[in-house]
Amino acid sequence: MDQEILLKVEDLHAGIEGKEILRGINLTVRPGEVHAIMGPNGSGKSTFSGVLAGNPRYNVTGGSADFHGLDLLSLSPEDRSHEGLFLSFQYPVEIPGVSMVNFMRAAVNAKRKYFGEAPLSAGDFLKLMRQKRAVVELDNKLASRSVNEGFSGGEKKRNEIFQMAVLEPRLSILDETDSGLDIDALRIVASGVNKLKTDRNATIVITHYQRLLDYIRPDFVHILYKGRIVHSGGPELALELEEKGYDWIKEQVDNN
Amino acid sequence: MTNNRQQADTGTKMIHIGRNTRSTIVSKGISAGHSENAYRGLVKVLPQASGVRNYTQCDSLLLSSTCGAHTFPYIDVQNETAVVEHEATTSKISEDQLFYCNQRGIPTEEAVGLIVNGYAKEVMNKLPMEFAVEAQKLLQITLENSVG
Repeated sequence: MDQEILLKVEDLHAGIEGKEILRGINLTVRPGEVHAIMGPNGSGKSTFSGVLAGNPRYNVTGGSADFHGLDLLSLSPEDRSHEGLFLSFQYPVEIPGVSMVNFMRAAVNAKRKYFGEAPLSAGDFLKLMRQKRAVVELDNKLASRSVNEGFSGGEKKRNEIFQMAVLEPRLSILDETDSGLDIDALRIVASGVNKLKTDRNATIVITHYQRLLDYIRPDFVHILYKGRIVHSGGPELALELEEKGYDWIKEQVDNN
Repeated sequence: MTNNRQQADTGTKMIHIGRNTRSTIVSKGISAGHSENAYRGLVKVLPQASGVRNYTQCDSLLLSSTCGAHTFPYIDVQNETAVVEHEATTSKISEDQLFYCNQRGIPTEEAVGLIVNGYAKEVMNKLPMEFAVEAQKLLQITLENSVG
């Protein structure tokens, strides 16, 4: 092997309530790479991210996913998280009554426990929160607010990237992080993602639009259609899509 | 808080006798397993008590799909200047909330604990310290193995 592989998905089939949505996905991600997955509505983009993160709603019916040497699909969702998989939700969930501080402390300490480390002291933890908050320009009040409750669309997405900053994942999947964002929020979120990028971690960006990719530059662009990656290319593919739409892809696939 | 096959019938009584008296009642019930939790709240305003104000909030949290919560307000107002309010909510810990916690690395059992404590916090904060600590521990014990 010439280079380390972070994620290798082979012939992945999955569905929901007996209906097959993913019909053989292949994808290889190496550290330091940014992959964009684009595709029309209903092509399986969100299913793909949900399956990788282990959402019990979806059933995997075939194929495999190797995550730095581990059989990803056999791990529980929390172990996938501990091992460095992070999903930024398209619709972040509200948890009334649970403050962001308590939530993040539970998350951080669960991960430390998994690796046999002692829980973080209150002081160290608050320092960590302060440090990471700066990445997405979130203010102090956030800490005492309940998880996502009463957050604006922009705040929810910034909060996702904040959590990503705290957990320092090896692979981040951003599921339509750009939906519901105005230009300023988009810029803040994208710059947060870029700040967190290293040559050790990788990002999968799921999006409808080229717009986000102006800010987060992908190395590879994949087009998902009817549960398969039907076309892959460099960043120029996203521009081509923006110009021509998805119709030419649909035609190409449907005529074969 | 009820679990397993417990049936609880609990409640409060608030009787306004004096003029311009005010009261607030906050009740939070948690049901798990196959349990049924009922709350009865009597708010009575006597004829001579003018300018009475009462607010009652009754929230129920369901931890399984086989448990239930019931709220019975009894409002007996004999003075027409009284303002008596009753609000009730029922919520359930959703799969989405649990998956969100799991994705951040928080195991399901711990996630339920977090959510339940968050829910009960409003009431717990009002309790004297010694009792609040006890109540929290009690909550934890009752919660053990109640997920599912």
